[in-house]
Amino acid sequence: MIINTTILSWVTFIYFGSAIFYIFKMVTGKEFWGSLASIIAFIGLIAQTVGLILRWFESYKMGIGHAPLSNLYESLIFFSWTIVLLYLIIEWRIKSRNLGAFVVPFAFFSMAFASFSPNVNARIQPLIPALQSNWLISHVITCFFGYAALTIACGLGFMYLLKGLEKGERPRLFFRLLPGREIVDELTYQSVVIGFIFLTLGIITGSVWAYSAWGSYWSWDPKETWSLITWFIYAAMLHSRFVRGWRGKRMAIMSIIGFTSVLFTYFGVNYLPGLHSYF
Amino acid sequence: MKKTFFSFLSSLKLTIILLIIIAVASIVGTIIPQQYEGGESFQHLSPGLVKVFNSLQLFDMYHSVWFIILMGLLSLNLIVCSLNRLPASWKLFSTIPSPDRRKPFEHLPPESVILIEKDRNEVINSVENRLRRKYKKIRRKDADSITFFYGEKGAYSNFGVYIIHLSILIIITGATIGSLLGFGAFVNIPEGESTNTVHLGRQKGVKKLDFTVRCDKFSISFYDNGMPKEYRSNLSFLKDNNVILQGPLLVNHPITFNGIRFYQASYGTTPGGLAYITVNRENTEETTLKVKQKDSFYLKEKNATVNIVKIEKNFMSMGPAVLLHIQNPEGTVRIWVFKRIEQMRDRIPDLIKKVPTFNPGRYKPYYFELNRIESNYYTGLQLSQDPGVVIVAIGSFFVILGLSITFFSSHKRLWVRVDDQEGKSRISVGATSNKDPVGLKRETEYLLRHFSSMG
Repeated sequence: MIINTTILSWVTFIYFGSAIFYIFKMVTGKEFWGSLASIIAFIGLIAQTVGLILRWFESYKMGIGHAPLSNLYESLIFFSWTIVLLYLIIEWRIKSRNLGAFVVPFAFFSMAFASFSPNVNARIQPLIPALQSNWLISHVITCFFGYAALTIACGLGFMYLLKGLEKGERPRLFFRLLPGREIVDELTYQSVVIGFIFLTLGIITGSVWAYSAWGSYWSWDPKETWSLITWFIYAAMLHSRFVRGWRGKRMAIMSIIGFTSVLFTYFGVNYLPGLHSYF
Repeated sequence: MKKTFFSFLSSLKLTIILLIIIAVASIVGTIIPQQYEGGESFQHLSPGLVKVFNSLQLFDMYHSVWFIILMGLLSLNLIVCSLNRLPASWKLFSTIPSPDRRKPFEHLPPESVILIEKDRNEVINSVENRLRRKYKKIRRKDADSITFFYGEKGAYSNFGVYIIHLSILIIITGATIGSLLGFGAFVNIPEGESTNTVHLGRQKGVKKLDFTVRCDKFSISFYDNGMPKEYRSNLSFLKDNNVILQGPLLVNHPITFNGIRFYQASYGTTPGGLAYITVNRENTEETTLKVKQKDSFYLKEKNATVNIVKIEKNFMSMGPAVLLHIQNPEGTVRIWVFKRIEQMRDRIPDLIKKVPTFNPGRYKPYYFELNRIESNYYTGLQLSQDPGVVIVAIGSFFVILGLSITFFSSHKRLWVRVDDQEGKSRISVGATSNKDPVGLKRETEYLLRHFSSMG
């Protein structure tokens, strides 16, 4: 095994540990577990960054140098990297560690899928002609930052719904430790906005690329179509908030529905015939 | 009646319904194979179902009449909604509320009111200076012992959403122009050949170009692990037999000629390929010819035409072979010319007697030899002309601009009241914002900190 894949498969375990400690923190309410989880997540992020950079170097050593963003394995790694990066920024800004239990598991699942699924090839492969484009990096980066922000919105949606289960005058400690509903709602909205803007940028950079590679900026390829469907869902969500004033539970449910569409855009489309066959 | 129809057109409900229908239809479109993806995929459907799908235009759904109507309705809805809400936004943008409104100062949190031990006039001056530096449309109103100020910033943020809607309409317009005035086409050109006729994609039929494209060479290169590295077509573009433009066409590097963009889309080998045949006349004359299937050449002495009927890489497991039909006034002679005829004869000595068509010397006084067979590539080119692209690009740019304005700016309105309280000057700050309450809070806190520092 090459060094970068070894590092990256270790990162899977690091994120697993971090996710477990975030859950400990949420259940027990002890800040100790939260700090531990944050530190571990941060170490994981640094190790993952090093792994990605090493992978980049190794590809150059092999004479087929390209950014590590070119197949399913690399996209899954990058996906979890963006999730943890965005999450840690949010944690640092809101000074609360409760969200980790809802977000870091996604990063772990993505890493685990990349590292252990027999269908995911971890080898560094050269770029086929269709991927030899300067648009590869900007397209993949914008798409995955969008996916990551929408993943965080989904985690917040789950958190909001869980919060909705609390009953009575004096709810259990567990519920009291979760942030207030307005804060969760506002954070969901902000994450969706960031995700929506990056998704838009991802669609536009993809169109520009398609215009120089496939002969048309829009071909109704399944991935294109599903990205548009996802865009519609989040556009509808933002409109119902601005125009109808929808808040809270409805937003939480919509952020989860939107995320299933994101997942289908990312994975499900691979089972349909189309041009995006390399991801 | 008219009014209810208009309000239906401008309702968010219609938007949501349309978005859901378009989304569901698009999902169907990704499941049912679309025509241009190649027809063989709907063979497993029953003929009845194919008929139903055909009448609903489901095999070319994204260009079907009903899908276009849906898109048209969505655009109409977008226009009506935007026009409906525009006057209110314009009012928010242009009107300046009076500085001495009471409402902004109701229910002010205690931290929004500060007391300063300084002369009121001095305080008023410094408040006004600060506001003028940081805010726009400053209004001042002096009452007996109270002075009011109004200021705002980011009024343009009310228009962000209209920029987005307008740019989506621009994109739809560009796409419509492209599909009405542009075309997409494809053509396969074997190496060494040229053409000026291409097959239209959606519109069907053929199109004649007013120039000729020649494929001089097609080549593929591979990485060490066997993955394709590069597809390259060397193309020449000719007008009146003069080469105007020449260049390599690669994936991701289209060539534009005469306003038409050429893309490297696919490749393949022509049936048979290229055969190198040596024609030997009683060991005195020898010529080697490079031929393709359906080619023919002439044998002057016998007034005969040799037609290359078939080129087989491995005919009946006996290796490369070429089928010739030699036509002369007396009739047609068929010969299969094998590359490995010697080995075949060694194994079956009376082969030629048994199967006369396998005799390379059957047509006397000639003797045919097959030297080798090579693959003959054709390049698959995609062509497109789309006058709407520039419009779509402009629209996309403004979508991003509109999104940035909508989500990263807010219309902040600020009311400041300065009055006396127990010999001190009191400053109260009330503020509203169309979005971004967090940013607004940060801003008023900053302003109050500045005011209190002058005391």
